[in-house]
Amino acid sequence: MFDELRGIQHEFGYLPPDQLRRLAAKIDVPLSQIHAVASFYPHFQLTPPPQVDVRVCADMSCHLRGGVEVKAALEQAFRGASPEAVSIRDVSCLGRCDQAPAISINDRIYCNVQGEHTAAVVKDLLSGGALPEPARERRRTPLVSDPYKGSSNYSVVRRFVETRDWAGIVATLKASGLRGMGGAGFPTGSKWEIVRNAPGKEKYIVCNADESEPGTIKDRFVMENAPWLVIEGMITAGLVTGARRGILYIRHEYENPKEILREEIDRCYREGLLGARILGSDLSFDLEIFVSPGGYICGEESALLEAIEGKRAEPRNKPPFPGTNGLWNQPTAINNVETFAFATVILVRGVEWFKSQGKSGSAGVKFVGISGDVNRPGIFEVPMGTKYSELIQDYAGGVLDGRALLGFAPSGPSSGYLPASMADLPLDWNALAAAGSMVGSGAIVVCGEGRCMLDMALNAVRFYRNESCGKCVPCRVGSQKMVEMLTGWTEGRASDSDLQLLSELSFAMKLTSICGLGQIVPAPIQSVLKHFPQVVDEHVKNRRCPAGVCVPKRETA
Amino acid sequence: MSSRPAPEIQLTIDGKQVLVPAGTTIFDAARVNGIPIPTLCHQQNENPVGVCRVCVVDVGQRVYAASCIRQAEAGMTVKTATEQVQGARHTLIELLMSDHPAPCARQLHSGDCELEHLAAVAGISEPRFPRRTTPRGKDDSSAVIAVDHESCILCDRCIRGCDDIRHNWVLARRGKGYQAGIAFDNNLPMGGSSCVSCGECMVSCPTGALTNKRVVGTELGQGDVLDPAELLHLPIFENVSGTFLELNQKAVVKRRFRAGEIICREGDFGSTAFYILEGKAEVFLSSPIAHVKTQGSSSGFFSRLKSMLSAREEDSRSEESYRPFIPIDASVDLPYDNPIAGLGPGDLFGEMTCMSYYPRSATVRAKTDCVMLEMLRNVLDILQRNKTFRAQLECNYRARALDSHLRSVPIFAPLTKDFVDHLRDRVELMRFSPGQVICRQGDAADSFYLIRIGFVKVSEEKLGGELVLAYLARGGYFGEIALLTGSPRTATCTALDHVEVVRISAEDFQLMLDKFPDVRHSLEATAHERLEENRRRTIRTENVPVDQFLAQGLMEAQSLLVLDLDRCTRCDQCVRACADAHDGVSRLVREGLRFDKYLVATSCRQCRDPLCMVGCPVGSIRRRNTLEVIIEDWCIGCGLCANNCPYGNINLHPFPVEVDDPAHPGRRIASVKVKATSCDLCHDHAEPSCVYACPHDAAHRVNPPEFFANIIQPQSAATKARS
Repeated sequence: MFDELRGIQHEFGYLPPDQLRRLAAKIDVPLSQIHAVASFYPHFQLTPPPQVDVRVCADMSCHLRGGVEVKAALEQAFRGASPEAVSIRDVSCLGRCDQAPAISINDRIYCNVQGEHTAAVVKDLLSGGALPEPARERRRTPLVSDPYKGSSNYSVVRRFVETRDWAGIVATLKASGLRGMGGAGFPTGSKWEIVRNAPGKEKYIVCNADESEPGTIKDRFVMENAPWLVIEGMITAGLVTGARRGILYIRHEYENPKEILREEIDRCYREGLLGARILGSDLSFDLEIFVSPGGYICGEESALLEAIEGKRAEPRNKPPFPGTNGLWNQPTAINNVETFAFATVILVRGVEWFKSQGKSGSAGVKFVGISGDVNRPGIFEVPMGTKYSELIQDYAGGVLDGRALLGFAPSGPSSGYLPASMADLPLDWNALAAAGSMVGSGAIVVCGEGRCMLDMALNAVRFYRNESCGKCVPCRVGSQKMVEMLTGWTEGRASDSDLQLLSELSFAMKLTSICGLGQIVPAPIQSVLKHFPQVVDEHVKNRRCPAGVCVPKRETA
Repeated sequence: MSSRPAPEIQLTIDGKQVLVPAGTTIFDAARVNGIPIPTLCHQQNENPVGVCRVCVVDVGQRVYAASCIRQAEAGMTVKTATEQVQGARHTLIELLMSDHPAPCARQLHSGDCELEHLAAVAGISEPRFPRRTTPRGKDDSSAVIAVDHESCILCDRCIRGCDDIRHNWVLARRGKGYQAGIAFDNNLPMGGSSCVSCGECMVSCPTGALTNKRVVGTELGQGDVLDPAELLHLPIFENVSGTFLELNQKAVVKRRFRAGEIICREGDFGSTAFYILEGKAEVFLSSPIAHVKTQGSSSGFFSRLKSMLSAREEDSRSEESYRPFIPIDASVDLPYDNPIAGLGPGDLFGEMTCMSYYPRSATVRAKTDCVMLEMLRNVLDILQRNKTFRAQLECNYRARALDSHLRSVPIFAPLTKDFVDHLRDRVELMRFSPGQVICRQGDAADSFYLIRIGFVKVSEEKLGGELVLAYLARGGYFGEIALLTGSPRTATCTALDHVEVVRISAEDFQLMLDKFPDVRHSLEATAHERLEENRRRTIRTENVPVDQFLAQGLMEAQSLLVLDLDRCTRCDQCVRACADAHDGVSRLVREGLRFDKYLVATSCRQCRDPLCMVGCPVGSIRRRNTLEVIIEDWCIGCGLCANNCPYGNINLHPFPVEVDDPAHPGRRIASVKVKATSCDLCHDHAEPSCVYACPHDAAHRVNPPEFFANIIQPQSAATKARS
């Protein structure tokens, strides 16, 4: 259905009602179901789009690095312009946190933008000019972990075709301690074993390349620089579990990685590594790329499966889990890009090599994205066990403008914020869990002195509110009410009972939401309440922002 | 071989050891063991979805589980009502209440809003969360169900009712996050959607988001009230929710008529439709088929004029429509020369009366003993949307009425039987609710429409507003211009009331034009006339300064009788002359709006927006191309046009006639029938009698734009000079 909808949108610029009606008749799907899906995904437009549709990323890293100013400059420049001509809106994280601020103009993404220059581009477009070609980098960074050093021969697949030793692979993965790199951290070897043992006519391997959480950019890096590791991981998972189809689910903003993966998949088909009769054996595995119609919620694994099935990406009630009841209700192994890549690395280089990469008692290596108030934002391949202070200082060049570190999010909004005093924590699953946070997807967002942590908490909660699918009450209504309450705090409108109410709301959301999104919504504000209580106090009790970031709205009756 | 019962599993719920079959949900396991768990989104006849989260319980895991969907597991320890669980539940209810318009429609009407009940139990009166600031809207478009999105808690019960239980697939969620809501089809108003009015959504709704509309102020005649079981036994009520029928129980009765009994009379007002279950009836017009003709009795200046009824053969009027069929509010049309037809089981009549409260268009008499359902509009709406009934109605229409309906339009007279047979299964019957746009100016044209029921307004969108070009009634057609010229739609056509049209696709329309050159020529001529007329009006409108002239509604007029008050001595000669000319019934009253020194007398203004044409149950009032109103032979004297005319310019003229004696079938008795008349400009004379009779040269029949332009322009200029 998505292909059909994309086709219509490509032709008409949006989805006209009569075209939807026609599509309903053509594919024999009720119109209500088509509309339900089309109105869910931000990629689809149900009304004619403006001539120039500018969307400015509003989330953590871009919020810190000039997104607000770019939007204000554009709004100023196009004040009074008709809504049919220009629309300037917020957009959720575009996955360019290392090149903030990022915007999209008519669905093309531009990074490191400035307000004035962008206004000139928009003006040119309005007077009939063409969109400038976005800067596209195809230079590859060799990965230290890549055993193939840029020329892969898919040795794991070759070996399996010879030995068929699925048990050996599962044992190796279990021994390595590799766990899911998407955030939840489920042991990979066990997941593949569950899928292998689950009864099912068809089984599926799904790669979650929908990374959409603010600050999370490492999967893009892995896909661009070592696509073979991801693809080999998927093929291996297919061979181990008995799945014959793999789907790589990638966010639609990742044009470049998609092309790189496409080329690599084509190569695999040419070389007999994919398709029927892999390397002449009786094994088969097909792999396709599925481009997401958009939305952070699609990264939630069961929502992602719903999206592939052509439905609204609403998370399923669990159990049952995808391992037994996944895509089309069949056993499905769904892993993150980085997980598949490391599975390949471990299977080539061995458990010992992998473990030895860590330091200070931690095992393994990890890709992290460091963005926000740092001098050299980027994606880095770092030993587990490295201190966050070292990551910020040594890898990302230290806090911007020589400022002192105020706080940081170890994994985007989901991890909440930690204060500078905890920067010596090591990049370690257990250490972070003990500190009430998480290593998660390694989306390190740094806040320098002068930032308001309440403002950062509101920014994170607003992201979740915007991305809530709306399926369940606590997330749909709760995230909205939380945004309204926190907005009130930043604007000097807090009431005495708010802290109590926020605590009750946080509890309900965390305990009753269907999926991880709703459960994690309270994390940013709860972490700020815990680690920066004086900041909240100043706003709530004294109605002032100590950093001078939050603009108090004039008291109105 | 019988299936083995599922093995039992043991678990602990609130400290109590319970035994349930494997596969049982925690919710059910608790319920059967006397531990009720509150819920909003779950009901027994639907698959659980676990979206409201009110039923969450503590199963000793990181997060709570929705008991409605989570299966009980052996050895599980479930706590349904710890302080924390109840606290979370309280928060969820408070969240929902903060966006709920308490008391909602359901709470107001029946006091059983499930959310408000839970809130009351939890002691939530004033929610502490900020209230919703963006309105979500109401939808009043359905005849039977009121939709209030403000009260919707997105429990998905209506959606599951519509999709999973009834397989209608009309309802679904729309949008995402806090903006999510329920939508009919692609977010259409319920009344304009493909909803079949089965009522399942409404009986599933826990709040006031979907409530039953009651028809107020209407009463059904005598008859047997049917219980839902009896109704459901009738195939035409197949798949309608029993609860819904129960709610509408008093809106339908079963009536029995003896042979010869009159069921309804033409011209009577009513609010019901009849569906024939058994027996035969005949539908006919008892009014004489003739028009009012006014004739001079002798020659000379003060000749008396005489009004009489005159049949078409005796007095052929210019531009009279030679319709071979008279459209009525039933599934058949009446032949002009013998206006009577038969109705049988499965036929429906009185749709327009029932849906839009128009007068009865014809008299219906039982031919044999009959059993009928008489229903109010909510039940009719349920039926009209019911798939089984629709199919039956459409089948009847295609088989019996399509021919006469097509042939009731004179230009289609040349169509051969072969071609009508070709169209029979290809035309589409489409329904529109009041205000719904059927086709929009500027859109690409893909079909031609013939009106079966109701009234359609044809208008042009212009800078500064909408210009009504015409009102079309049953037998009217539209959409030909764009198809003939291959251009986009030249006008917007909107349903004024409950409209049903027959849609002929562009493809079939072209085929018709190719096969029948005569039809093409007539259509082209009509299209040309319509376009020319629109152009003329536009020019007239644009050339006139409009300030207060418009304010008095005079711009609406095409022709006015104005009295120059400087000259008028109030002698009333004009009024007398009119009465003299029309059998003592004056069509002119010397009162009206004043403009400058002119009195605009009350006589037909031949409005640009002729409201009188809306609602004629037999479509007998229309306009000549000169815009003069013409009332066709088959006027039944119901008086609706006279009521509709805002200027009181249509009168009912009584005529002595002979009719069937209702008490003695076969005998004729003397009676009086009325026919509507309006100013006919005394067109047998050189000028209208009133103008002619004025001894002071004060009365003039004028074209307002031209006449007033001269008065307004100096005034406007003066106003400007002062300011």
